[in-house]
Amino acid sequence: MSKPKVAFFDFTSCEGCQLAILNLEVELLELLDIIDIVEFREAMSEKSETYDIAVIEGSFSREKDRRRLEKIRETAGVVIAMGACAHIGGINSLRNNQTRDEVQRIVYPDNPTLYETNKKALPISAAIKVDAFVPGCPVNVGEFVKVVKNLVLGKAPGLPTYPVCVECKMNENTCVYEYGKTCLGPIVRAGCNAVCTSNGGVCIGCRGLIPNPNLNSQKDIMEKYGLNMNLIMDSMNLFMTEENKAKEV
Amino acid sequence: MTTLLNKQTTKDGVFDGLERALGDYKIAALTKREGKILFDYVKDVKDIEQEYTPTVLSPKKFFFPQEEVILEYTFDGKVTAKTNPEKIILFGVRPCDISGIKILDEAFSESHGDPNYLSKRENSIIIGIDCKSICDEDAFCYKVNSQYPESGFDIMLHDIGNDYSMTIISDKGEIFAENYFNPDMVNYTALAKFNIEKKEAFDKLGGPWEDLDNLPEIFEENTNHKIWETEAERCLSCGSCIMVCPTCYCFDVVDELALSMKVGDRLRRWDACMLRSFAEVAGGENFREEVENRVKHRINRKFNYLMKKHNQSVCVGCGRCVRACLADISPVTIVEELTKTSRALKIETKNNDLYLPEKVTITKVEKFTEDEKFFEVEFDSGRSLGHDPGQFVQLSILGIGEAAISISSPPSFGDRFEMVVRAVGDVTNKLKSLEEGDHLFVRGPFGHGFDAKIQKEMEGKHILYIAGGIGYVPLRSLINLSLKHPEKYEKLSILYGCKTPSARMFKNELEYISEMKNNVEIFETVDRPEDKWLQHCGVITELIPMIDFNPDNTLAIICGPPVMYKYVIQTLKEQKLSTKNMFVSLERRMKCGVGKCGHCQIDDIYVCQTGPVFRFSDIEDKEEAL
Repeated sequence: MSKPKVAFFDFTSCEGCQLAILNLEVELLELLDIIDIVEFREAMSEKSETYDIAVIEGSFSREKDRRRLEKIRETAGVVIAMGACAHIGGINSLRNNQTRDEVQRIVYPDNPTLYETNKKALPISAAIKVDAFVPGCPVNVGEFVKVVKNLVLGKAPGLPTYPVCVECKMNENTCVYEYGKTCLGPIVRAGCNAVCTSNGGVCIGCRGLIPNPNLNSQKDIMEKYGLNMNLIMDSMNLFMTEENKAKEV
Repeated sequence: MTTLLNKQTTKDGVFDGLERALGDYKIAALTKREGKILFDYVKDVKDIEQEYTPTVLSPKKFFFPQEEVILEYTFDGKVTAKTNPEKIILFGVRPCDISGIKILDEAFSESHGDPNYLSKRENSIIIGIDCKSICDEDAFCYKVNSQYPESGFDIMLHDIGNDYSMTIISDKGEIFAENYFNPDMVNYTALAKFNIEKKEAFDKLGGPWEDLDNLPEIFEENTNHKIWETEAERCLSCGSCIMVCPTCYCFDVVDELALSMKVGDRLRRWDACMLRSFAEVAGGENFREEVENRVKHRINRKFNYLMKKHNQSVCVGCGRCVRACLADISPVTIVEELTKTSRALKIETKNNDLYLPEKVTITKVEKFTEDEKFFEVEFDSGRSLGHDPGQFVQLSILGIGEAAISISSPPSFGDRFEMVVRAVGDVTNKLKSLEEGDHLFVRGPFGHGFDAKIQKEMEGKHILYIAGGIGYVPLRSLINLSLKHPEKYEKLSILYGCKTPSARMFKNELEYISEMKNNVEIFETVDRPEDKWLQHCGVITELIPMIDFNPDNTLAIICGPPVMYKYVIQTLKEQKLSTKNMFVSLERRMKCGVGKCGHCQIDDIYVCQTGPVFRFSDIEDKEEAL
C-alpha cells in the first residue's frame, strides 16, 4: 500500500486544531508510517502541487478564498473539514446574526472596511464538497487519527452520531443539571469522551448537533432550569449558529 | 445453587474479614471518587461508604463493562478470544441491582452462553446489603417486587443492629463466609423481626402494581396508546436512560486497528436502542427511525418482551433512568397510565469461542455488478459449514469489522460455501478488493433458516419463489436445493425482479433454469430495460397474477429489499394465499448473531435467533416486522 499524501490548509481560524495535531508528538510519528505529510504551513516550509487528502481548518468567510478552496478540491481525492470552524462555521459564525456593517464597525471602529469579508462565516461545505469531518474546538486528536486511519483503510470515518450524554454517563458523571448548570450534551455529537462535563465544565456545543436533535425539548429543559429564551439561543448559537439556522428552515 | 443457609456475624467481623480478603481478591464497593459516589475498587475497607446513595451506574459494569476487548488479532490472521475474568468481591450491592444481575445472568446464559460475561460472574462473589426502605423518591423497587431477590448474589447481609444476619445461597458464598466472616448461629428472632419490618415498610408505600403480572398483555393491548406520542415529543433520544439501566445489555462490536496496522482489537461497547442509529442497516434503512417507536421499544423490553422471557419485570425499579432523564420520562408514569385502562440459575461458562472467528480462504471470486461480488470460500480447518438454507454467517475482516452475510449455496455443496456481497458498509466495501487466495474470518452459521421441517412441508406443494434484487442470493440456497429434485414438488415457480438486466445475479444459472422443463418455470422482470431485454418490464407484483396456482397447495417464499414485502404480500393475499403459506427472510443489523446485542430485535423477537426466516403469519401482527 503506497502512503497517501496529506496536505493541511487553513482559512478563517485560530489554527489551534493544527497546533493540536502537532502536539500529538509520538502518535504523529506513527501516523507518518501510514501517510506522508506534504504540506503543513505550521510545521514545515515545503509545499506540494499534488496531494490525496486535504485537511482544512477554518471557516469560509471571504469570497476571495473560494478559488483557493476550489483548487484544493480539484487536487485532493478526499477533503476533510477539521474542527468546528470548517465543519459547522464555529465561533466565527456568531457574527452571522448581525449585519456586515455592524460587525465591521464593532471590530475595526476606526477603519471598518480595512478587511474584505463576506456577510457570513460559513462551514467550508458552503463552498466545496466535503467528504469527511472531524468535529470539535479544538479537534480531539485521537478522533483525528481515527478518521485518517479509517479513510486510509477504506472504512467510513466512524464518528458517533449519538450525543455527549452517552459518553458522560459511561464516565459515571453526575449530571451537571443537578448542580444547577445547563448543558448542551443531549443534542451535541459525542466523540470527545465528554471531556468538558467530566472535568467540571458543561457542553457548549463545539462538536455540532447530532443528526436528529430534539431542539424543542432541549429548549424546554433549559427554560425549566432557569434560562430565558435569549440566553438559551446565545448558548445554542455559540458554535452552532449555522446549524440552528438550517434547522429553522 | 445448592445452599440456602442463615448465619450471623458482627459488623466488625464483616469489615475485618474484607480487610483480610483484600490480599486475595479485588474488592469493589460503594466508595467516593472525586466527589462522586460510585461502585469502584477499594484499596482499604475504610474507603467503603456504609450509607447508601444511589449511584449513576449500576454494578453491572463489573461483568459487562462499558467497553471490553473480545478478540485480539494480528493482521496476518492470528486470532485470540479474550475474556479477562478476575477474582473479585462485589460488596454492598442493593436488592434492586441484585435483581438486575439475576436478569443479566439469565440473558447471558441463554442459548449460546456469553463467555465474557459468564467468566467474570463465575469468578465473582457478590455480597448484598438488604434494604429496609426505598433509597429516594425516584426508586420504585416495591412496585416491581425487586426488593426480594432470590438469586443474583452469594451472601445477603441483613442489618439487625450490631450484627448482620446472613442469607447464603451458594457454595462459594458459604466457603467465603466460613473463611473470612467468622460466622455464628443465626438469631432467627432477629432475622424474622428484620423481615417483618422490611415488609411493613414497603407495604406502607403501596406494594407492587396490582397488574404487575399482567403487564405484558396490557402493553400488547396498548401499542397505539397516546402516551407513547406525548412521551416521545419530550424525549431527547440521548440514551442516558439506557446507559444507567442495570438490565440493559445491548452492545455494538467494532474493530480497532493499531496505527501500526499490524495488530488490532475487536471491542464491544454498550449500545442503546434509544439511539437513532441503533436499528440502521448498512444500506441505510432504519427500522426504528421514529423516536416514538424507540421509546415504545425500550419500555416494552422491560415490561413485555423480556418480561415474558424472564417471568418477572425486567425493570427493577432502581430509579436510575428517572433520575437521569432531563425530560422527566419515567417508566412509572407510562405503566400507571397504561394500567388505568424466581428461579436460581447456575452460572457456568459453556463455550469460550462464541466471539472467536475461524479463518476461511477465498477459493473463487466473480464480479457480478459494479457493487456486487460473488465469493466461494472454504474453512482452513477443513470443516464444513453445515447450514440450512436461509441461515447466515458473521463474516469479518480483521481491523475493519464484522457483518452478517447470507449463505447462497445449498447445504450439500461439499466443504465450500458461497456468498454474494453488496458493497454498502465498511466490511463489504473492503471485500470488493479481495481476490482468490485472500483470507476472511467467519463465525456461524447462525439463525433459523429453512430447516428440515419446512423442507418437508414444501414437498408436494407448488412453491413460489419471489426474489427482488439481491434477495435472490439468500433464496438461491433453497432454490438450488429444490432444483436438484424438482419431482418432489408439484411445481417450482421462480419470480425474480431487478432494477435493470445488468443487476441480475447468477445470470448463467437463470439461463439454465429457464431451459429446465416439466414443472420448473422462471419469470423475470426489470424496472428499466436495457438493450436486448425481451422479458417483462415493471414491478415484481405484476408477475404474480401470471402464475396459475392453487392457494391451498402453494407456499410463497419471499426475499427482497425492505420496501418489496408489503406489496408482494398484499398481491398474494388478493390471490387468496393465506399468510400461513408465506415465508419471508428479513434483513436487520446484527452484531452478535445469537440474540444478545439487541440490534435485530423486532418487538419481542430476535431476528438472528427466531429468523431471519419467518412464517409470515407468525409475525404479521408485529408492528416493526416490515
